Amino acid sequence: MNPAEVDQSLNTLGAPSQPPAREATHGHDDAGNRMFGFIVFLLSESVIFFSFFVGYIVYKTSAPEWLPAGVTGLEIREPAINTVVLVSSSFVIYVAERFLHDKNIWGFRGFWLLTALMGSYFLYGQAVEWRGLSFGLTDGVFGGTFYLLTGFHGLHVLTGVLLQLIMLGRSFLPGNYDKGEFGVAATSLFWHFVDVIWIILFVLIYVWQ
Amino acid sequence: MSMSIRTVITLGLVAIALALISLWMGQQAYTWFPPQASAESVLVDQLFSFLVALGTFIFLGVVGTLAYAVLFQQAGKYDTSDGPPIEGNVPLEVVWTAIPFALVIWIAFYSYQVYDQMSILGPMEHVHGKMVMSSAIAAPPSQPSPTAADALPPIEVHARQWVWEFRYPDRNVTSTELHLPSNQRIKLILQSEDVLHGFFVPAFRIKQDIIPGRVIDFGFTPIREGRYRLRDSQYSGTYFAAMQADVVVESLAAYQQWLTAAAAQPPTEAYNRAFEEYHLAQNPISTGWKIVEPASPPLVNVSTHPSQNPPSGKESKP
Amino acid sequence: MTNLSVEAIAQIEQPLPGAPDNWKRFFSFSTDHKVIGIQYLVTAFFFFLIGGLLAMVMRGELITPESDLVDRAVYNAMFTMHGTIMLFLWTFPALLGLSNYLVPLMIGAKDMAFPKLNAVAFWMVPVFGFILMASFFVPGGPSQSGWWAYPPVSLQNPTGNLITGQTLWLVAVAISGVASIMGAVNFVTTIARMRAPGMYWFRMPVFVWTVLAAQIIQLVGLPALTAGAIMLLLDITAGTSFFDPAKGGDPVLFQHFFWFYSHPAVYVIILPIFGVFSEIFPVYARKPLFGYKVVAISSLVITGLSAVVWVHHMFASGTPGWMRMLFMATTMLISVPTGIKVFAWVATIWGGKLRLNTPMLFALGGLTMFVFAGVTGIMLAAVPFDIHVNNTYFVVGHFHYVIYGATVMGMYAAIYHWFPKMTGRMYSEGLGKLHFALTFIGTNLNFFPMHPLGLMGMPRRVASYDPEFAFWNVIASLGGFLLGMSTLPFLLNIIGSWVQGEQAPKNPWRAIGLEWLISSPPSAENFEELPIVIAEPYGYGKSEPLVSNPDALEVAHESR
Ligand code: HEA
Ligand code: HEA
Ligand code: CUA
Ligand SMILES: [Cu+2]
Repeated sequence: MNPAEVDQSLNTLGAPSQPPAREATHGHDDAGNRMFGFIVFLLSESVIFFSFFVGYIVYKTSAPEWLPAGVTGLEIREPAINTVVLVSSSFVIYVAERFLHDKNIWGFRGFWLLTALMGSYFLYGQAVEWRGLSFGLTDGVFGGTFYLLTGFHGLHVLTGVLLQLIMLGRSFLPGNYDKGEFGVAATSLFWHFVDVIWIILFVLIYVWQ
Repeated sequence: MSMSIRTVITLGLVAIALALISLWMGQQAYTWFPPQASAESVLVDQLFSFLVALGTFIFLGVVGTLAYAVLFQQAGKYDTSDGPPIEGNVPLEVVWTAIPFALVIWIAFYSYQVYDQMSILGPMEHVHGKMVMSSAIAAPPSQPSPTAADALPPIEVHARQWVWEFRYPDRNVTSTELHLPSNQRIKLILQSEDVLHGFFVPAFRIKQDIIPGRVIDFGFTPIREGRYRLRDSQYSGTYFAAMQADVVVESLAAYQQWLTAAAAQPPTEAYNRAFEEYHLAQNPISTGWKIVEPASPPLVNVSTHPSQNPPSGKESKP
Repeated sequence: MTNLSVEAIAQIEQPLPGAPDNWKRFFSFSTDHKVIGIQYLVTAFFFFLIGGLLAMVMRGELITPESDLVDRAVYNAMFTMHGTIMLFLWTFPALLGLSNYLVPLMIGAKDMAFPKLNAVAFWMVPVFGFILMASFFVPGGPSQSGWWAYPPVSLQNPTGNLITGQTLWLVAVAISGVASIMGAVNFVTTIARMRAPGMYWFRMPVFVWTVLAAQIIQLVGLPALTAGAIMLLLDITAGTSFFDPAKGGDPVLFQHFFWFYSHPAVYVIILPIFGVFSEIFPVYARKPLFGYKVVAISSLVITGLSAVVWVHHMFASGTPGWMRMLFMATTMLISVPTGIKVFAWVATIWGGKLRLNTPMLFALGGLTMFVFAGVTGIMLAAVPFDIHVNNTYFVVGHFHYVIYGATVMGMYAAIYHWFPKMTGRMYSEGLGKLHFALTFIGTNLNFFPMHPLGLMGMPRRVASYDPEFAFWNVIASLGGFLLGMSTLPFLLNIIGSWVQGEQAPKNPWRAIGLEWLISSPPSAENFEELPIVIAEPYGYGKSEPLVSNPDALEVAHESR
């Protein structure tokens, strides 16, 4: 019997482990694997944030002294604007992806660049906020958790922006994105992830005071 | 699945034999502990005896079956055939899921009752009042009446690297030896000044970590006079092993006498093992790594004598 | 097939199994999962010897009550490094090595999903191993705060330097965590997406199920430890106060972070060993694995439960009563899925045609000691009893029984069982049995006495102890030295047989499994043509074929 036929017939039973097209690539579906692996990685990564969040909640509800002396709370206006920018950039990056899907490479580049700019604006806003604060990393558990959470998240935004710039650069390689692109999809997913984390973080740190 | 009568009888006999051995092991278990010097130790030892009996039954059941197979079911030297292709048996699998489940609920419930009766943690941490009432009925006769509980003022336990210091605030006495009256509910206030320590008296079967920055209420009832060993049970750095003290359980009258005598004594510098060793330790393999310096010995009314806190102390039996 | 020529070239580039410079690839950045698997195993075993050497010094110190062989600080450094090395540099890498070698073969894949990532993850092991070893040479010596690194002791820094044993320890553990997450992503992806045609979930060997269950734990648990480690590192180096009670921090929170990972970690360790047992018993009892599907699923049940029991390491810590009771119940529940497995193995062996080869002996010995350790584990889960024995040698006895008795014995079973497959050589059965006898006796002599010691109240992590504990400690030390010696016949056997053992056939044990359908050792890409699986595993006594294309799996001239 032709192995491909057997493969086909078996695939109709239960979960097919691999698409029949696998023979065409080097033994397996690389792009699909990478996306799957990346999602698994993001799930794992989210546990780090989750742990920090739990730590924050425990400290906030149980620490004998929460706010350092002389600190009354956090200004919420600027961070709120920052939040709006970051959250909307998730829509912008989606539009960029649609353009790529429709083979409109310049539309893709435009919106993709806009996302990166919005991300950079967020980082800039964060830096401005940090400079204006009256407390530092070592000012009690409040100072520690505040900078830990915003800083760790900021690192992720920075990574996201760098990835976006790399992908933008690669879009100029001829024919590179003809078959869709794992890098673009992954960056975009990462960006949504960073976004969702920020929303939780914003609620925890700024809204719940 | 049909079993012949003979198999059923054999299995039954084996089970009875195992049960008898297990019960015997359960009784042996009492002898593996230090003396029962607190009301709590009576409860803990009973629980352990039960766990040993059950554990023996499970262990012998499983390993006995394996041993039988290993002894009598080996393949002949030239026998390359396979065994019967049995892939499972649903009723059997249900049984061996259900029985452990039931056993586990039993163990957990029994442990819960014991823990509840011990109620070693302060009132802040112990809230379910109703259960205390219902389970107190099962308390052994040696358990003193709870009314005596409020009679004694609490004793402060201060731990630091690597000293135990006990304070009796109402009598203004400090000591490096913990004196306790017998048959009274003792209340301790545990505090640490630097790192984690653990309050552990094996003869009492009780233990509690001491968390710096927190004040922990801890209670138990000694029931047997004698000198026992208090050991640090939560690793606290270089001289952790040396951080021991003696606990003296005596009659209420002797205890009061001791307090009075101690209060009359002027404070002197206590003997401290870690502090002393820090200045002379030399071993075949020595590195000279810089370590945390032990706290200076406290000033106390009653100090342990070096002979009672030797490099390795001894649990004396009265 | 279009890519045949490409693969043929790839095979020529890789030195052939029998070629003289064959061994060189083990020292290269190879992306072949089989090479990486062996690299992991050998590296891990090297560190096992180092960790064991430290244990020998510890047992030397403990043979007398006095602290008279090494300084207390040295003793404390020894057990800290012993625990750390044994877990992070021996057990984890060794099991990763085994999994790396076996999983692709068992599911009928040509390699892992991400071969380069795989190699990178492996090469991080020597890197963090080196960092950890380097900490012996910094001022103040290596970390002395135990493998839990509980603050505030771990925050104390008498040297005042920035680079201390403790910071190096944290960096090493962090790198180990990153490497493990990379590995876990790779395994989960490989198992989910690289199975051969017809290899449905319920046709996977149980070993693959257990690897999946273990790697999921890594993905969920390790980030929590990483979070705690980052905060501890900031406390030490940047002056934050997360865990420093003197500055308003909460040291107990660290304990939660630590055990949220480090409890499940013990199941990361034992699950693949459950897999090994499930593979070995059917082969040497010549019967199918009893209740295959239930055994497979119970691995995932253990994974789920393992995430909600961590407080059992903190019963005597600053935890309230309700928390102690809740986690007592969840902990005890683990015995249900575990019991299912144990009973299934017993039923597999029962009525079989047993052959007591070295792997079978190790597996039987390991199972015996596992049941013993499981029983003491359930005792520990009972809060009132744990309050007495927590942080005593009873706990040390419990976990060495699982970790040496079951895990190391299981590792040995696996190494012997798959040795012919990995090296193409047969090992010496006589030396193997000697190794088993010494290990079994040594383990029990070494670790059984720890239980009475704990009941009597001997704390762990002590360099000196009261004379009443001397008797059992002497026995434990003698047993420990015997256990140290027991590695010699193993080393002799493995090195000797690898160099000049008898040539191994494809399937010396007449075992059923994809890895046994191809030559020993397998060629670079494992399968010339992917196997088409048509049966469940463990078809002993049923004489049904496992694959529909057994003859097409390899290029003809390669098969032996
Ligand atoms: C591979 C490693 C491994 C494994 C598999 C286990 C398995 C178990 N462990 Fe263990 N444990 C450790 C490694 C491991 N442990 C380590 C390293 C430590 C100490 C770390 C440190 O402090 O440094 C530790 C410490 C430890 C503690 C903390 C003690 C303390 O510090 O005070 C506890 C408490 O509950 C515990 C419980 C258990 C239980 C209930 C199981 C269960 O999974 C066991 C389940 C198995 C069985 C029960 C046997 C088979 C079942 C049957 C035959 C069915 C019938 C049985 C019954 C109904 C009971 N372990
Ligand atoms: C996989 C894990 C693992 C393994 C295999 C072992 C193996 C051994 N362990 Fe343990 N151990 C732990 C994990 C492990 N351990 C952990 C996690 C702790 C807790 C640490 C802590 O509290 O922080 C611990 C703690 C611990 C203690 C308690 C220390 C204390 O609390 O004070 C003791 C005491 O006896 C001990 C002894 C031993 C012995 C004798 C062996 C023996 O099995 C070792 C046998 C020896 C060898 C196999 C090697 C022989 C080597 C040679 C003959 C020389 C070769 C020479 C070169 C290569 C140069 N270990
Ligand atoms: Cu002193 Cu712990
Ligand atoms: Cu645990």
